[in-house]
Amino acid sequence: MKPTSSDRRALAAFMAPAIAVMVIFFIIPILYVLVVSCLKWNGISAPQVVGLENFVKLLKNSTFQRSLKNNIIWALVAGFIQVPLAMVMAIILSRKPKGWKFFRTVYFFPQVISGIALATLWRAIYNAEHGMLNGLLSAIGLGSLTTDWLGNSGTAFPAVLIYWVFYVGYYMVIMMADITTIDTSYYEAATIDGATDFQQAIYITIPLIKKTSLLTCVTLASVMGLRQFEQVYMLTNGGPNHRTSTMVLYMYERLQSESYGLASATAVILIIVGVIFIITIRTLFNGRGETVKPKKARRAVK
Amino acid sequence: MSETRLRPPLRGKELVLAILRWILIIFFAVYTLFPLLWLLSSSLKTNFEFLTKSPFALPAVPQWQNYTNALSVAGLGRMLLNSVIVGLVATLVNVIIASMGAYCISRFRFRGRESIYTLFTAGILVPLSALMVPYFVIINKLGLYNTYGGMILLYCAIGIPMSTFLIRGLMDSIPMELEEAAYIDGCGFYGRFFHIILPLSRTGIVTAATFQFLTCWNEFIFANLIVSSEKLRTIQVGIRYFTNQFSTDYVSMYAAIVISIVPSIIGYVLFQEQIIAGMTSGAVKG
Repeated sequence: MKPTSSDRRALAAFMAPAIAVMVIFFIIPILYVLVVSCLKWNGISAPQVVGLENFVKLLKNSTFQRSLKNNIIWALVAGFIQVPLAMVMAIILSRKPKGWKFFRTVYFFPQVISGIALATLWRAIYNAEHGMLNGLLSAIGLGSLTTDWLGNSGTAFPAVLIYWVFYVGYYMVIMMADITTIDTSYYEAATIDGATDFQQAIYITIPLIKKTSLLTCVTLASVMGLRQFEQVYMLTNGGPNHRTSTMVLYMYERLQSESYGLASATAVILIIVGVIFIITIRTLFNGRGETVKPKKARRAVK
Repeated sequence: MSETRLRPPLRGKELVLAILRWILIIFFAVYTLFPLLWLLSSSLKTNFEFLTKSPFALPAVPQWQNYTNALSVAGLGRMLLNSVIVGLVATLVNVIIASMGAYCISRFRFRGRESIYTLFTAGILVPLSALMVPYFVIINKLGLYNTYGGMILLYCAIGIPMSTFLIRGLMDSIPMELEEAAYIDGCGFYGRFFHIILPLSRTGIVTAATFQFLTCWNEFIFANLIVSSEKLRTIQVGIRYFTNQFSTDYVSMYAAIVISIVPSIIGYVLFQEQIIAGMTSGAVKG
């Protein structure tokens, strides 16, 4: 509809709050981190322009290096282990086995529980003296494997990383919504031709979701991996000896110590690494890097 | 896919696959549920039981007083109230602003409309935690550090792109003719918005509101960043302090965690469709 002249004023009034929010909370903050990343500034005294010095400092800092490395590992594990697991479960549940609605509900639980509550729960599970994991290992006769999972520098990062990998509900639901839109005649024809369920999954389902929901999920999961904060903050607070630090945790610590420049530079690197991941994944999935709009995940299946 | 498909009796490879399938289904369900049940069971034990007996033993006598302990010691009641206040107000303001914006973008052709919409969609993509520093500075500059107002403003703002996206999606599906007919009958801009579009976009608004409330309820990073007063702590920030407050009283701590999780689970079970719809539409976030 074309706005009439009397509509115009109302239109401007209606649009204004949302636009104000976008400017104040999205555009200005992004410009802010870009500018401040080139400053030496504690938030109080006069800022000093230092160019790219903050970035050089960061890349030389061993804690930052460790954080960056952890985030990249996290992004890769999320995108290429967690999402494929979710895909397998999406394929299985979209065939509607007995109780599939119940299982879908259950798998989605970790998504609605706050990250901080889940992390606290897992801290209790990993606890060296009375945690469930050590209890389980002792109970099945593997007592020799019990250890202080989060305190031990060898096991801390894998422990922080792994528990999350098996929470596949979110990606599973996205892919299930996609799979249910696939024309059933493909499967009917394949069944007549004697294709097994497994063959149908490999030759029909996966190719058909690859450029849509699978791409979306791999991208999403990787980007989530780059943003990890609550898990490490609550489970280990980056320890032992910064082994489990992440970029957002590092940024948080720099902000606490009032190094606004370093914190902002970390934010800029986080955004850049994210963009690199998104472009690389798109290129991988589409062969020749042409951008295909990911199909919007439809409303979840009933 | 079709349920009426005739299945020949399973044998050989097919049988192996069927077994494998159920192993996976059950593994993932146990993996999700077992820790939660363990938490629930632990929260009903005595500390002595918890520390000396097998972690898998059920509580001999359910210790409900752990829950009353948790509520009194940690000030959980206050935290839950804070979360509810912040969540409700931020959600209400958020959906009002988003519905207004979505209405303009969805129903009118005007200059800059496409760029505005692109701006909103791009907003969904921004890794918000990267903007921690400017958000901290903005809230401080506005004098909103340590206030409900600060949390409400920030939560309301960061959810705007997503809510606008969800509500606009629904408004797009309302036929233009309805509004044009009303226009010809002399119904003005506000009349059309309040009497025609808003009621018809109900489902989209409910989805956006549910999603927004859940996001507020579970948010931790910013709540932790812009509030330090004990009186204003939300439940998520509170969890962080449980561990110290209950230094040796593990069972009460577990009760406190259960209390913090239960509202999310109940909300999820009640609003399952909206939450899943909100979260999966957010998949464009890629």
